[in-house]
Amino acid sequence: MTVQDLWLLSPEIAMTGVAIAIVFADFFISNKRTLAYLAVGLLALPLLFSLNIWFGVVGDTTATSGLFGSIVADRFALFFHFLLLGITATVIIGSVQYIERLKEFEGEFIALVLLSVTGMLLLVSARELISIYVALELTALPAAALAAFRRDNLSVEAGLKFIILSAVASAVLLYGIVFIYGYTGTTNLAAILVRLNDLPVDSSVPFGSYGVLFAVVMIVAGFAFKMAVVPWQMWVPDVYQGSPTPVAAFLSTASKASAFAVVIRIMYTSFGSVDLQQDWSALFAVLAAASMVFGNLLALSQTNLKRLLGYSTIAHAGYMLVGVAAVAANTSSGSAIAGPQGTMYYLAGYAFTNLAVFFAIIAISNRTGSNEISSLNGLGKRSPLLGVLLTVGVISLLGIPPTVGFMSKAVVFSAAVNSGLLWLAVIGVVNSVVSAFYYLRIVRAIYFEEPKDDSRITADVPVLFATSVAVVGVALFGAVPWLILRLAEKSLELLLA
Amino acid sequence: MIQDYFRSYAVLIIFVAVAVVVPIGMLGISYMASLVKVRPQRSTRIKRAPYEGGMRPLGDKPRRFNFRYYYYALLFVAFDVETVLLYPWAVRHGVLSRQFGWAALGAVLVFLFVVTVGYLYAWRKKALEWQ
Repeated sequence: MTVQDLWLLSPEIAMTGVAIAIVFADFFISNKRTLAYLAVGLLALPLLFSLNIWFGVVGDTTATSGLFGSIVADRFALFFHFLLLGITATVIIGSVQYIERLKEFEGEFIALVLLSVTGMLLLVSARELISIYVALELTALPAAALAAFRRDNLSVEAGLKFIILSAVASAVLLYGIVFIYGYTGTTNLAAILVRLNDLPVDSSVPFGSYGVLFAVVMIVAGFAFKMAVVPWQMWVPDVYQGSPTPVAAFLSTASKASAFAVVIRIMYTSFGSVDLQQDWSALFAVLAAASMVFGNLLALSQTNLKRLLGYSTIAHAGYMLVGVAAVAANTSSGSAIAGPQGTMYYLAGYAFTNLAVFFAIIAISNRTGSNEISSLNGLGKRSPLLGVLLTVGVISLLGIPPTVGFMSKAVVFSAAVNSGLLWLAVIGVVNSVVSAFYYLRIVRAIYFEEPKDDSRITADVPVLFATSVAVVGVALFGAVPWLILRLAEKSLELLLA
Repeated sequence: MIQDYFRSYAVLIIFVAVAVVVPIGMLGISYMASLVKVRPQRSTRIKRAPYEGGMRPLGDKPRRFNFRYYYYALLFVAFDVETVLLYPWAVRHGVLSRQFGWAALGAVLVFLFVVTVGYLYAWRKKALEWQ
């Protein structure tokens, strides 16, 4: 390990330090609200280190990879660093009130969130399969503890389901890694591309041989668990319903974003040649279509809000995969990066949207104590502000202009059309229309149903702040999409070169 | 290369075959020996016990044991691993410090700090108290 490596790893090291500092500060700070704000303040450290690598202010950050090629701090990783840190800050601020109600283990809640994010930061910068696997486990273990945090039956069930299924997914992923290693003799993503070119190619089989095909399918299956993509989606509704709501918000945004990041990185680095791109494009196109259809159809009949959002997140994973399936190889024009760029924009937009919806629901259920759609009845009268915030979030999920939800769908679908996946774009648009049925049911409950009791709902300041920040993001990035699109374009330059 | 790769599985198959044949063979020989009255069959209570040697088992049901042992086991594992890592480092410290300077000490201090935070955590959360 050299000093260069330390600079490349500085955001992750800083994040670990912040997590340990919070465990330490928990001994002395009895006001847990202060502790949460301290954690958010300390997040500036990893953010500053990431910014430092991006702009190259202090230290030697020019190395393209470190730790024997297993870590890379390129702009693609940094884009996700910024996104993940933003999500973390919002989640911690939004769960302040929730943490206070826990009565014990408040510090641990924050520390576990921070440790999980450390794993995600490492995951998006890893460029070697074993590092990716270790980072993935570091992400999943604290997340399982968080899912079981409420310690009632539902929550423990959620935690147990999450950890068992994530272990199964990890095993599948490892099996894929083993096959890749068996065929290429390396786990370094860039080296895999070179070695694959030396292997004999049977052009009648996808990926040139059945072994590589098997390996790619296994690896994608392992990450599909994290992305909440069909056919690895069955944990999502149960875990979202059972786990504490801030944890569900965290899983549906941060965990998903990091998994998509690592899939895009693996696919474009290791299997980036034109022939292979076309092969995995077909795989992702099918998965995307299945996720969209499955998620939307099952969401139609849900009455529990968190379960509904669980199925909605499966559908959205499908929309995001449309961007991954729209590979550069199939495009005719110069818009070679529209697909992954669209997915990155979608991930950022979806993070804002979903955080807005989840935190509005937290603010409401803190008062009503229920997560049923019927508990939203008459929200427009009981709390006009929360009603508006939740409505903006929901119409962004649905994809009505001028929200970020509409813009991101427009970007990924146009990328799909440009790369010859017209049928996939059509399925996506039809699904968006179907999803209107259940999203608008929430809006109907807010404005057109009569409430059982007319008492006003007043939200706590921190959760209201988190919701408002997310809604401002929804509106801002919907109005000026090029802010993120340009950033994503810059981030992808090296990866796709 | 691919051929070699699959050939290495042949070793695995041989290994599995040996692992199956040896124990079954031993049991089979023992059984056949009893058929020809070479092996005596004098069963006693002690011979039928789950562990022939050692202490006589107390009670017959699966018994509850105190959950607090769990904390001690966890802490023990943490500090055991710490020792395992510290020992080779201490032996090679002369070489390491010539190559890396103060970083050789610094890395271990960081490691010790992290483990110590864990220890302090257990202490503050009263995991060490036998209530």
